[in-house]
Amino acid sequence: MGPEDLQRGLASRLGAGLLGVDAFDGTAGRIRFDRSVALELFRAMREELGFGHLSTVAGIDWVDRREVVYVLWSDRALQYVLLSTFLPADDPKVESASGVWPSANWHEREAWEMVDITFDHHPDLRHLLMPDGYAFHPLLRSFKLHEPESLEVKVRHV
Amino acid sequence: MSEMWINMGPQHPMTHGLWNLRVRLDGELILDVDPEMGYLHRGIEKISEDRHYNEVITLMDRCCYVAGMAWEHLYILGAERALHVTPPERAEYLRVLCDEFQRLGSHLMWYAAFVQDLGLMSPFLYGMRDRDLVLDLFQSYTGARMTYEYMRVGGVRNDLPPGFTQQARKVLDWLTDRFREYDQLCLGSTIFRKRCDGLGVLKGPDAVRNGVTGPMLRAAGVKRDLRKDRPYAAYDRLEFDVALADGADVTARYLVRMEEMRQSVRLLRQVLDWLDGHPGPVVADRLPRWLGAPYAPVGAEGYLLKRQYPKGVGFAAVEEPHGEALAYVVNEGGEHPYRVKFRSPVFANLSAARTYLVGYHVADIPPIMGSVDVCVGEVDR
Repeated sequence: MGPEDLQRGLASRLGAGLLGVDAFDGTAGRIRFDRSVALELFRAMREELGFGHLSTVAGIDWVDRREVVYVLWSDRALQYVLLSTFLPADDPKVESASGVWPSANWHEREAWEMVDITFDHHPDLRHLLMPDGYAFHPLLRSFKLHEPESLEVKVRHV
Repeated sequence: MSEMWINMGPQHPMTHGLWNLRVRLDGELILDVDPEMGYLHRGIEKISEDRHYNEVITLMDRCCYVAGMAWEHLYILGAERALHVTPPERAEYLRVLCDEFQRLGSHLMWYAAFVQDLGLMSPFLYGMRDRDLVLDLFQSYTGARMTYEYMRVGGVRNDLPPGFTQQARKVLDWLTDRFREYDQLCLGSTIFRKRCDGLGVLKGPDAVRNGVTGPMLRAAGVKRDLRKDRPYAAYDRLEFDVALADGADVTARYLVRMEEMRQSVRLLRQVLDWLDGHPGPVVADRLPRWLGAPYAPVGAEGYLLKRQYPKGVGFAAVEEPHGEALAYVVNEGGEHPYRVKFRSPVFANLSAARTYLVGYHVADIPPIMGSVDVCVGEVDR
C-alpha cells in the first residue's frame, strides 16, 4: 500500500477535507486532513482500509498552530500510516478517536495534558501523568525549563 | 454486599515500579479498575528538546531501566531518519546483538519478578543469577550494567573487546540449559498451573482494539512482530520464528516469553558468527564532529548541523521486549530535536487493564499484572 492507494481509497469519501497524502519513510504514507472530517476519516481507515490498531496520538506545538499526529497499523498491509491535522492555537479542538479505537483513550489524555489539545466527545478527559489540578501544559513551547516553575501547584477548580 | 474502591499501590509488591491500581470491588470480585500513572514522570520528552541529539541517548537508558538498549535503538533509528544518516553494516549487527541480549536480560528479569509474585522464591534467585551473566556481557563492551549510552547517531560507540564472542557463546549455552529447568520448575508445578491457567484472558480482537502489543498480543494468537513485519537493523538477514501461543491467559504469556528467549539465543548465535567474520567500521563517516562518535567534543561545531542536514521528521518502530515502541523525532534544523514523541508498549498494555482484570478476584491481580510485565519508567517517561 502506498500514498496513491490511500489517496484513491479516501478521496471520494472525504472530498475537500482530504488535504493530501505524502510519502513518509517507514510508513505507507502521511495523510493530511482537515479536522472537520476527522471522524469520517477514522471510520474509513478502520472499516475500509483495515487499520484496526491505533498505536499512538502525538501532539506537537508549532507556536502559531498545533499538530496532531495519529499513528495507525494495519495487520492486513503490515504497515504503519500517519494521519496529521493542524489546529489553530486559539481553538485547539478535534474530534476524539476513542469511539473508533478504544486505545486512543490514554494517548489523547496525554496529548491534552501535555500540549493542550481538546478532544471532543472523549469519554474521560482528565490528567494522566500530571497531578489533578495541574494548571500547565508542559510540552508547549511557551513552557520553559530554564525558568523555574513556582513550587506551589496552582489548583484549578473545575 | 456494598461496593468499594481500594488502592493497590503506589507501594504494593505487584506494581513493580511506582503506580497505583485503583480497584472497585464487590467482596473479592473485581468490578472495575483505574490505573493511576505519573509517579515516575520525569519529563523526558521535554528535556530532550533542550539537548543535543547524542545527549538524548542518556535519557533513553532511563526510559526503561530493564531494556535501555532497546530504547536507545528506537531513538537512534528515529534520529537517524530525521537527520538522514545511515549506519555501517557492522553497527547494524552490533545493534541486533544489543537488542537481543537486552531481550534476554529483560525477560529474565520478568521471569524472576513474576514467579516471585506467585510466591516461588527459588526461581526468583535463578532468574536473577542468570540475568547477571547477561549484564556482565554488557559491562564488558559498554562499561555499564544498566545505563549503557552505547549507541550513537550513525553507529555505535565502540567495537567489541577481544574474546567477547567466545564468552558470549558460553553464556548462551548456559542459558539454553537453564530454560529447560525453568520450564520444569513452573510448568511442571501444580501450584503454578493453578494460579495461572485461564486467568487474565485477553482475546486477539480485544487486544488489537485496545492497542495491546508484544508478548501479550502474541499470547492471544496474533502473529505480529515488527522484527518480521517491518524489519529494521539486520533482522531481515537473520533467521528466527515468531513465538506464538493461543491460550490468551497468563500461562500463554509465560510460554511466549520463554520461546522468545530461545529465539533470541538462536538470533544471537547467527549474529556472533557474522561479527567474527566481518570486521569493519562501527560509525558512519562524514558526520558533523559533535555527532560523530566516539570522542567528539560537544561545542560550537554543533551548528554545523544547520548547514549540513536538511530538516526532516523521523519515524521509527522497534520490537522492544515489552512490545512495539515508536519514536517520532522532529528535526527543525537546529542542534536539538524540536520535538520527540515516544510510544511505550506498556503504556498501551496498561490502558487496556479493564479488559483483562474485570471479572477476576483480588488474589488474581498479582499473577495477571505480573504477566503484563510492567516497566513504569517507560510508561511515565
